[in-house]
Amino acid sequence: MASGKVKVGFYSLTGCAGDLLNILGMEDKLVEIFGNIDLMEFVMASSRVKPGKVDIAFVEGSVTTKKDLETIKRIRENCSKLVAIGDCAIWGGLQASLTGLDPKELMKAVYNTEENYYEFLGEHKALSEIVQVDYELPGCPIEQDEFLQLLIDLLRDVIPEFKDYPVCVECKIREIPCLIVEKGEACLGPITVGGCKARCPYYEAPCISCRGPIKDEANVAGELLMLLEKGWKEQDVVDKLRLFAARYKDISKLIRRV
Amino acid sequence: MAKEIVVEHLARVEGHGTIRVLVEDRKVKDVKFEIYEGPRFIEKILVGRRCYEAPDIVARICSICPEPHQVAAVTAIEKALGVTISWQTKMLRELQLLADVISSHALHLYLLSLPDYLGYPDALSMIDKYGREVKLGLQLKRAGNLLKEVISGRPIHGCTVKPGGYTRIPPAEELENLIKPLEESMEGAKLAVKLFSSIDYPETPRHDNIFMAIDPGEHYGFMGDYVLTSTGERYPVDRYKELTNEVTVPHSSAKHSTYKGYPFMVGALPRMMLNKSKLKGQALDMLKDVESKLDAANPLTNNLAQALETVYAVERSIEIINELLSKGLKPEEPIVAKSRRGSGAGGVEAPRGTLYHYYELDDEGRIVKADIVTPTAQNVVNMEKYIRLSAERLLAKGEEKLEPLLEMIVRAYDPCISCSVHMVNVVRLR
Ligand code: SF4
Ligand code: SF4
Repeated sequence: MASGKVKVGFYSLTGCAGDLLNILGMEDKLVEIFGNIDLMEFVMASSRVKPGKVDIAFVEGSVTTKKDLETIKRIRENCSKLVAIGDCAIWGGLQASLTGLDPKELMKAVYNTEENYYEFLGEHKALSEIVQVDYELPGCPIEQDEFLQLLIDLLRDVIPEFKDYPVCVECKIREIPCLIVEKGEACLGPITVGGCKARCPYYEAPCISCRGPIKDEANVAGELLMLLEKGWKEQDVVDKLRLFAARYKDISKLIRRV
Repeated sequence: MAKEIVVEHLARVEGHGTIRVLVEDRKVKDVKFEIYEGPRFIEKILVGRRCYEAPDIVARICSICPEPHQVAAVTAIEKALGVTISWQTKMLRELQLLADVISSHALHLYLLSLPDYLGYPDALSMIDKYGREVKLGLQLKRAGNLLKEVISGRPIHGCTVKPGGYTRIPPAEELENLIKPLEESMEGAKLAVKLFSSIDYPETPRHDNIFMAIDPGEHYGFMGDYVLTSTGERYPVDRYKELTNEVTVPHSSAKHSTYKGYPFMVGALPRMMLNKSKLKGQALDMLKDVESKLDAANPLTNNLAQALETVYAVERSIEIINELLSKGLKPEEPIVAKSRRGSGAGGVEAPRGTLYHYYELDDEGRIVKADIVTPTAQNVVNMEKYIRLSAERLLAKGEEKLEPLLEMIVRAYDPCISCSVHMVNVVRLR
């Protein structure tokens, strides 16, 4: 580290660029953040790209095209720590809810051609399905305060901690009335990893699980049963569960079962 | 001798794109503005979904304009369901769109474009010399984001927007708290007008430019049921297919948007040129001073139009908030339960231009067909036209370095590449 600062790169694969934009959205802290790192690459924000290896690579987006595949492999070879940011990078994003459909049909339905213009891989994959990922920061998009904490930890060489409890915990903390109990809504808070401070329930909208399931902990079957008991249609609930985590093994198992 | 001029990794635009100009014997043979953002098949994700899920899904098309996508979607769905919205919802929708205009234009003007004109790789490198500009630009962007958060729950991918209304009506005090940051952001908005009217725009070859924009009704704005063209026509939004007519071009299997066979432009400059008589307040005063700088035939002046719109958007937001506060906010529930067969199209002005959403619903309110036409997709042919004209001119003048100007032209349109959900047309493999 010639400059003495940690070299950081920001990269995006297939997605909406929301996670990187949310980093640029920390208007009052940007100057300080970028002053404390050696910014190697952030194409959305700067036309300067520095060559060489990076210490931390933040990557958003799913691996969808041949180019994404090459890019993620190149990034992995070039960095010490790879951090997947956002649902697209961690679970393939909402585009991964199409998993299992014929790619030719998809091209035909949306672009009216069967030709594979994009060198589409046929599936939208998570980074961890391709390369080794060191950390995963959930969200669609990621939360700014969580990103900041993670960055600070990494810069200080502290092992970062990630949430392992459901959104419901944060609802309770903020004393938000439960949407399932009070309003009979199909809220996915019980199986979704917290960290957003129950953003949607606070705004009186049910959680659609944009942060993805609580890894190894989510009681997906339980949630499904509960919502079915409340009179929700199976297809609607399964569709909801699939939207942000179709590549989560338990959901696909569950989907096969129902 | 043939050579290819390539501007790869188009920086400071949202998404991944490349400009490719093929030159043979100092003549331009072919121009391509290529998009190589991966396909996400959003329209396909929508099929089979309940219509109330649409706003959450379409927000994810683009992080810079989730708001217009949501508003266009719910407008279309409400038409399909035969639902009318309240005055309060209408006002909140307008605020939502204004918020996006403020933050998106601030981002584009201060962080993406200004570095171009001042010769920096990015806004942060400008801080030593242009600290005030960067600070005010960021403050302006922040005001837009604060407004988004209060109305839709989050600056990116808001969660409160549903067909028929919002899940939460913002409490009066939250709206009240926005007034100060908005008022303070006015300085940044006005500075943008000053900055972008004093720039000596590199000349692009002047050429007739057909414009299109939504007819906002009595005052300047970003919603409406009709589309105006600079050729003097007015179409209902439902006929968007005729306006964004996709045609096959001979040099590729590509399809491009044209109007009656001609390239056209959507975005801030077209809106300003078509609707400036509907401006008011400080934006109108400022327009009077800088009007001669707006050049319909030079797309680079799109930046100045954006700056004027930002002044308008800040002022109009404050006005709406005050109106809502004085009338008192009423509790209201979105109409999500209603379902019926039907179809509908909605159009809004996203910061980069007209955006259309169209849906067909079955009796259960599930989406059976979705069609989304984005501004970037509509602008592509026009971008290529100006790239070609500029490249030809620079080559004729004996200049070798085309890249910076070409990149500048594309960036002036503020293309949002991840919003190219429907743009296989310009993709060429590398
Ligand atoms: S995770 Fe969400 S915010 Fe991030 S790139 Fe994907 S769609 Fe965008
Ligand atoms: S409440 Fe659920 S959907 Fe909303 S931000 Fe949190 S995780 Fe995402």
